[in-house]
Amino acid sequence: MLINGLLASAEHGVNRVLRMDSTALPRLDRLSGKVIAIECTSPAFHLHVLPSDDGLMLAANWDGGADVTLRAPAASLMRLAMSKDKNAVLHSPEVELDGESAVLLELVGVLQDLDLDWEYDLQRWLGPVAAPLIGGHLRNSARWTRDSATSLSHNLAEYLAEESRTLVGKREAEARFAELDQTKQDLERLEARFERLAHSLKSSDNA
Amino acid sequence: MNDPRKGSDAEPITHFGYKNVPESQKAEKVAEVFHSVAAKYDLMNDVLSGGMHRLWKRFTIELSGVRSGNRVLDIAGGTGDLAKKFSHLVGPTGEVVLADINASMLKVGRDRLLDRGVAGNIKFVQADAEKLPFPDNHFDCVTIAFGLRNVTHKEDAIRSMLRVLKPGGRLLVLEFSKPTSKVMSKIYDAYSFAFMPLAGKLITNDSESYRYLAESIRMHPDQETLKSMMVQAGFDRVTYHNMTSGIVALHRGIKP
Repeated sequence: MLINGLLASAEHGVNRVLRMDSTALPRLDRLSGKVIAIECTSPAFHLHVLPSDDGLMLAANWDGGADVTLRAPAASLMRLAMSKDKNAVLHSPEVELDGESAVLLELVGVLQDLDLDWEYDLQRWLGPVAAPLIGGHLRNSARWTRDSATSLSHNLAEYLAEESRTLVGKREAEARFAELDQTKQDLERLEARFERLAHSLKSSDNA
Repeated sequence: MNDPRKGSDAEPITHFGYKNVPESQKAEKVAEVFHSVAAKYDLMNDVLSGGMHRLWKRFTIELSGVRSGNRVLDIAGGTGDLAKKFSHLVGPTGEVVLADINASMLKVGRDRLLDRGVAGNIKFVQADAEKLPFPDNHFDCVTIAFGLRNVTHKEDAIRSMLRVLKPGGRLLVLEFSKPTSKVMSKIYDAYSFAFMPLAGKLITNDSESYRYLAESIRMHPDQETLKSMMVQAGFDRVTYHNMTSGIVALHRGIKP
C-alpha cells in the first residue's frame, strides 16, 4: 500500500507536468493500451507505465503482459530521466530492451520534447495581468543569471590562465600536448629505427 | 452471508445492518441510504477512509489486467471512479458498462464522467446485480467495489457475474472485510460506530446511513467465507488480498 501511495503521488505530479504541454497528452493518446514494463536491476524493483490521453498510469502490481520491457540499473534509469539525449542512454550496454521498442522510444520522445507552459498554470492562480509580469521578470532574471554565470566563468578562466598564471590556459595546454605527442611519435620512430639496425647487424654477424 | 430465515408470514428474512427485514424490503432500504448520500458520496469516502479508498481502487485496477479492446462491467459503480480508469485502459475499441441499481448514484456517476470528458466507450445501465441484463460470456472483466454487501442474495449476484463473464474472464470483488489483528479490529470498531455516524451527521446530515454502513460491514462475509462463496458459484483460482490490515479485501476469481 505504501508503494501504491507513493506511485499515486508520483503519477499525480507527472500528469500535472504533462498537462502543461499542450501536445503531450494527444501524443500519449497514440500509445493508449500499450504497457511499458520497467525492471530496475539494482536495486531490484519493477514498475509498469500505461500511457493514455489522461496521462501516465504508474502501477507496481500490474497483472497483465507488457508490450515492451526496459531492464537497467537505477543509475541508468536516472540518467534516462534526466538526460537530454535519451536515445544515447537507451543504446548504452547496461540497458536492455525487449519487445516493441518503438513504444518506449515514442514515450521517451514525448518526455524529451516537453515544453512546459508554466505561465499558463501561474495565470490560473494569479490572473492574466500578474502572471505575464511575473513570468517576464523570471525569464529576464534567468537570462541575466545564465549570462552572468557564463561571463564569470570566462573571466575567471582568463584570470587564472593569463594573469595569475595559476593554471595553464586551454590553448596553451593543447599546444603543449601536441608537442608532447610529436616527441612521443619521434621517439617511437627512433626506437623502431634502432631495432631495425640491431636486427640487420645481428643478421650480418650470423653470415 | 444472507442468513435467510423464515418469518411468521413465511417471507424470508434478511439483514439490513443489524436489523432483520423481509427480503423484499432490503433493496428498497439500501436504495434509500444511497439516495440520501449520493450527492456527497465522494467527499464522504475521502473523509471516512482518509483517501485510502483511492489506493484500494488503484490496486483493483492493477489486478484487473484490463487491456485495450476489453469489455468491462463495473457493478455498483457509483460515482464512476473505476469506470473512468477502465475507460482509458480499454480505449476506443473497448467498452465499459457502469451499472448501478440506484438511479441517484448512477446519475451522479454519469454526470461526473461526462463532465470530465469520459464518453464514447462507456454506457450507463441501471441494473440489479442479481439479474444482470447482459448476454452470457460477454465481458472480459467484472468488478464490484463496495457493493456486494448491499446485495440481498449475494450467491445469486456472484452466479450472475459468472454467467456474463467470458471464459478466462476475471471477477474482482473489492469489499470491506474482517481486520486481521485484534488490536486493529478494536480500533476499527471504535472508529466505525463513533466517528462514522458523527461525520455522516456533520457532512450529510444523515447519521443513520453511516450507522448502516458500519453495521453492514460487520454483517458481510469475511475473507474465507466470500472466497468459498465464489468457489461454490463456479469460479476458479480464487484468491484474495488483504489491504490495510484486512479492513478491505480484494477477491479475484477466474471463470473456467
